Amino acid sequence: MTPILDMVFQLITFFMLVMNFKSASMDLTLRLPVVGSARPVETGGQEQLLILNVNAKGELIVYNTPRDIDSYIAAEAEAILMVARREHPELQFGDELPTTVVVRADRSTPFSLLNRVIKAAQDRGFRKFSLMAMNKKD
Amino acid sequence: MRRHRRRKRLQGEVELNLAAMLDMAFQLLTFFILTFKPAPVEGQVSLRLPPPQPVTNVGGQAQAGDDVNNLDPVANLDSLVISVVGDSGGNIGSLAIGENNIANVEQLETQLRIVLGDPSTKFEQVILQVGDTLRYEELMRIIDVCSRQVLPNGQKLSKLSFVELPTGQAPAAP
Repeated sequence: MTPILDMVFQLITFFMLVMNFKSASMDLTLRLPVVGSARPVETGGQEQLLILNVNAKGELIVYNTPRDIDSYIAAEAEAILMVARREHPELQFGDELPTTVVVRADRSTPFSLLNRVIKAAQDRGFRKFSLMAMNKKD
Repeated sequence: MRRHRRRKRLQGEVELNLAAMLDMAFQLLTFFILTFKPAPVEGQVSLRLPPPQPVTNVGGQAQAGDDVNNLDPVANLDSLVISVVGDSGGNIGSLAIGENNIANVEQLETQLRIVLGDPSTKFEQVILQVGDTLRYEELMRIIDVCSRQVLPNGQKLSKLSFVELPTGQAPAAP
């Protein structure tokens, strides 16, 4: 009995460790474009990420719910600015924010709809962007 | 004497009910197996996207096309303009660096390598004029080509700006 219990606990530990809670904020139904030179995400554990899922209709999807682009990004930018001010009190509204915006857009999204999201983020002070893509076709 | 000792130990022993514990452990294991969903391996193209600025000369004086002897209107400017217009299906319809038309993405890469690798040019960023119908997948092919370019100072090109071209509008320098 004891060896089987040991093995089961080891399996439980394995599945607990590989469980990825970050994927909850990603919309896995999106079909990302395929780009050969896309590199794995590396933030060095330092930077904050703001994940924006944009579907083919240009809607911003947050935890499976469509949200208004401007109000959502404005609220997020305000929260990030408040946090950033703790270390840099001189930061003003519209200054460059230390967060990287991760754009996960569907491969068939027209540029005009995607540009609305990028512009809204730029207007709020985001400058660093990561465009997500698959390394190879699924 | 020996027998007496053993009886004493047995009296104080606490027995663990392993069967119940195993049941619970199996239930936990089933839960984790059923909820296990490996995240797809995704890559990223990191870019610095400042809002589009007007094209200016390095010295801040001359504008594109000022120098009549200069046949290349984008020479000596720190922003390189690439125009991409999509067709009705959202695919790449026409491509141009400045005013020079480019046939396809492969040729764009060759041309960019020549223009950006030239130490006499001081391009730091690329302005992408993109047609509004172009699909994201096609745009990423262009961004992919741009992000692979290396500037004369050895740094990778990572500064890009997007400018939207409404349908039917001919590409022009901003």
